[in-house]
Amino acid sequence: MKKLIAIVEDEPALRENYAAALARQGYSVKTYANRKTAMQAFAAHLPDLAIIDISLEDEAEGGFDLCRDLRALSAELPIIFLTARDSELDAVSGLRLGADDFLTKDVSLPHLAARVAALFRRIDALRRPDNAAAIVRRGALSIDGEKMQTTWNGTPVTLSLTEFWIVHALARNPGHVKNRQQLMDAANVVLDDNTITSHIKRVRRKFQQIDPAFDAIQTVYGMGYRWVE
Amino acid sequence: MSIRLQLLIVALTTLVLPWAGCQYARELETALRDSQESALLASAGTVANALSAQPQLVFRDPDDTVPFAAGHGDWYVFALQSQPLLDGYRDDWGIAALPTPLPGAGGYSARAQLGSTGRYLYLYVEVDDTHFDPEPGNAHPERDRFDRIDLTLQHPDGTREFYFFATGAPGMIAAQSIVNGGDGEDRAVEEPRIQAFWLQTSAGYHLEARIPSSFVGSRLWIEAQDGNGKTGLDAINAPDGGRLFSMTAGLSRLLGTFIRAGTRATVVDANALRLGVAGDLGTLTAAGSDADTESWYRHMISVDTSSFPLQSAAPDRLAGHSVAAALAGQPHAEWVRGAANQELLLTAAAPIVIAGSTRGAVFLEQAGDQLLELRDRAVSRLFNLTLLATGAAFVVMFGFATWLSMRIGRLRDAAESAVSSDGKIRLDMPESASADEIGALARGFERLLARLNEHTQYLRTLGGKLSHELRTPLTIVRSSLDNLESEGLRDEQRHFVTRARDGTQRLQSILSALGAAARVEESIKQAEFVNFDLCELLRSAIGGYRDGFSKSRFTLQTPPDPCFIRGAPDLLAQLLDKLIENAVDFCPPAGMITVRLERAMGNYLLQVSNDGPPIPAALHGRLFESLFEQRQGRDDKPHFGLGLYIVRLVAEFHGGSAVADNRADGGGALFTITLPLI
Repeated sequence: MKKLIAIVEDEPALRENYAAALARQGYSVKTYANRKTAMQAFAAHLPDLAIIDISLEDEAEGGFDLCRDLRALSAELPIIFLTARDSELDAVSGLRLGADDFLTKDVSLPHLAARVAALFRRIDALRRPDNAAAIVRRGALSIDGEKMQTTWNGTPVTLSLTEFWIVHALARNPGHVKNRQQLMDAANVVLDDNTITSHIKRVRRKFQQIDPAFDAIQTVYGMGYRWVE
Repeated sequence: MSIRLQLLIVALTTLVLPWAGCQYARELETALRDSQESALLASAGTVANALSAQPQLVFRDPDDTVPFAAGHGDWYVFALQSQPLLDGYRDDWGIAALPTPLPGAGGYSARAQLGSTGRYLYLYVEVDDTHFDPEPGNAHPERDRFDRIDLTLQHPDGTREFYFFATGAPGMIAAQSIVNGGDGEDRAVEEPRIQAFWLQTSAGYHLEARIPSSFVGSRLWIEAQDGNGKTGLDAINAPDGGRLFSMTAGLSRLLGTFIRAGTRATVVDANALRLGVAGDLGTLTAAGSDADTESWYRHMISVDTSSFPLQSAAPDRLAGHSVAAALAGQPHAEWVRGAANQELLLTAAAPIVIAGSTRGAVFLEQAGDQLLELRDRAVSRLFNLTLLATGAAFVVMFGFATWLSMRIGRLRDAAESAVSSDGKIRLDMPESASADEIGALARGFERLLARLNEHTQYLRTLGGKLSHELRTPLTIVRSSLDNLESEGLRDEQRHFVTRARDGTQRLQSILSALGAAARVEESIKQAEFVNFDLCELLRSAIGGYRDGFSKSRFTLQTPPDPCFIRGAPDLLAQLLDKLIENAVDFCPPAGMITVRLERAMGNYLLQVSNDGPPIPAALHGRLFESLFEQRQGRDDKPHFGLGLYIVRLVAEFHGGSAVADNRADGGGALFTITLPLI
C-alpha cells in the first residue's frame, strides 16, 4: 500500500511541486492549504507522514498549532516542518513540539525525498528486531543506522533527523574533520554555516543533558568539526 | 567670522553715542557762549545807558567833546594804588606803561607820566640831557639858562599858575613860582606844597614831583627846557591842550554797583582811555579743584581758542574789536585770550552816547573759564554716561552673542552627532522647545532626522525582508526545476535547466548575504560565553583559511602562551571569517595577510593586515557602519556592506571595539580588534 503523505502549505505552486515530486517517488500525496481543512481531514484519516509549513495563510504560527494537534492525535506520526523561516527560535520551537525534522525551503526536492524515505525507513526499522550490523559503536556512543536511534551510555538521545545524520557522519570516522559542506551533504540538507553551528550546538546540549562531561564533538575553527573519543 | 565677533562689530555702532555727546557738548558750548555774549552785551548796554544819563560822573568836563590828543599835550592820569616814594624813580608806581614823550619838536627827548592817589597828583619826567646846567643862585627862568621843568597848572577855579622845577644839585626840591615883588621885579619863590626829587643820571635827569590834588584843575602843561632848547607845550602857545584825563574814583564806585562778581567793567573815553575800572575777573580757584578732570576727551571737543585775538596789555587804553566797534557806535562782543595767562575772556563793549555822539564806551570782561568748567562738567558727565551705556551695550551684546552661539553650537554638535557611527539616529534635538528661529531650526532638524530614521529603518530591515520574501518564490523556481529534471529531459533541455539552477544558486547566496547581519544579531542574543584559548582558535582558523583561500598567503603571530578569553568562540570565528574575507578581497595575488595577536594595556589586540591598497582617510570611521559599501570593482560575490558591520557587532558584544587604519609603512590596510582580557 502506498504511504500517504499530507502536505500543508499555503503557497499553491510550492504545494503542487512538492506533491508532484513525492508522487513521483511513489507516495500518495494529499495537499491542504490551511490548518482547518488539514485538521478536518486528519480527524477523519491520519496520513503516514505530514509535511507542514509554519505560517499558513493568515495564521502566522498555524503550523505549530497544527503540529501540536496532530501530535495529540498520534504520538508516532512523523512530522516534518518545511518553512521559509530559518530562525533558530522557530527550529527549536518546532522540534520541541514533537516534529521529527525541521527543514528550510532551501532544501532540494531530492533531499526532501531522501528525508521522507529516511523517516519511513526508521519507522520500519523500529518495527523490526535489531540489526547488529547497522549499529556503530564509539565508546559510550552507539548509533543504530537503520532505526536512526542514538544512545549514550545506553541512554537514548532524541535527535532530529538532521541532527542524527550529523552525528552519524562525525562518529563514523572519528578524528576526521568534517567541514560544513560535508555535514550538509550527509544530512541531505542545504544549510548556511550558522544553521550547522546551531545544529551542532543543539546536539552537544542533548548529549550533555545525559552526560555533563560530554565533549566528543570538537570545533575546528575555520574548517569544521570532528568526533574525538 | 563668528556671530560673537559680528555682534561685537555691530556693537561698535554704539560708539556713536559718545560722538553724538561730543557734538551736543560742542553745540551746548556754542549756545552757552552765545547766550553769555548776549547777556554781557546787554549788561554793557545797560551800564552805558546809565552812564549816558550822568556824563558828569564820567568826564571831568562833560561839555568838552574834543577827544584826547597826546599831540596837543593832553595827559592821562594813571590811578596809583599806593603813595610812591619821592626818589626820582617810578618803579614804585606800579604802572607798566612807559612814560609818553612830551609833544612838540624841541631840543630834547623827554618823557612824562602822571599818576594820582586821590590826594596827590604825581608827576614824573625824564629828560635825555647829558649836560647838566645847575640853577644859578637867584635865578630867573626868563633870563637865565639852566636845566628846568616848567609846569603850568590850571587850578580848579580856572586860574592858571606857572611853576618850574630846577636845582643846583640833585635831591629833594620844591617847585618855584614867579611872583611880582613890590619893586616891580619878578622873583622866584618856592612853593613848599609841591615837593619833588631831582635825580641826575648818566643819560640826563629824572624829576618826580608831588602836587596836592587841590591845586590841580582840568589842565596841565609840561615843558622841559634849558638854554639849548625846550620840549613840550606851554599854556600860552597851546591854551586848548594839556587836558587831564583820568580814572575817577566816583566813576569806579558807580561802576561797581552795576556789575556782578567775576566781571570787570571799564569805561573808556572816545580815545579808549580808561576812565574808570571796577570789579575783578576772579581767579580760577573753583576750576582748580577739578583740574585733574581736565581729561583727554576735552581734546576731542575743545573749541580752538588759540585763534582768538590776544588782549591788548596797554594800561591806559583799551584795544580790540569790541572797543573799536563800540567807539564806532556799535555794541560788540568778542572772545579774546588774556594777555597774561592766555586765559579765555569774554569781552563786550557798548557805546556811551551823549547828545547824539559817541563819547566813550563801557567795556565788560568776564572769565570764560567758568564756561569751560561748566562745559567740562557737563561733557564729562555725558561722556561717562555714554561710555557706561556703550560698555553696558557691549557687555549685553557679548553675552547675547555668547548665548546665541552657544545655542547654535549645541544644535550643531547635536546635528553632527545625531547619526552615531553604528547608524543609530538620535531624534531629539536641543533647543527644540524654544519659540525662536533656533527652535524652529532644531524642530526642522528633528523632522529631517525622523524622516532619515524611517528611511534608515526601512533600509535596515529591507535585507531581512527581501531575503525572507524572496525565499518562497525562489523555492518555487527551484522545486519546479527539480521536478522538471525528474521528468526526463533531453540533453539540450538539461543545459537550460542547469543554467537556471546556477541562477537560483546565485540568488540564494545573495539572499543569504542580505540576511547575514540579521542572523548574527539573532545569534548574539542567544550566544553563551565560555572561556577558551584565542590562540588555539586562531591557529585552527588560519589552518582552515590556508586551505580555503589558496591564492593568499597567511602569517600568524601569537604570544607563545595560551590567550584565554571569555566569549563566544563561534561568533569570534565569524568575526575572523569576515576580516579574512575582507582581507582576501583586497589583498593582491601572492600578497601576505598577517594575523597578529598581542596583549596590550589590559586588552587583546587582534590585528589583521593585508598588502592591499590603503584605506582612504575619509572612510576610516565609516567602514564598520551597517550597509556601508565602497567597493568599486565587481566580483562574483554580492557585497552589502554587512561584513565589517558584523565584525563590529561581535567585537562590541565582547566589550571590545573595531578600528580600521592603514599600516604604518603605508603598505596596506590594518584592522585592529580590541578585546578585553578575562
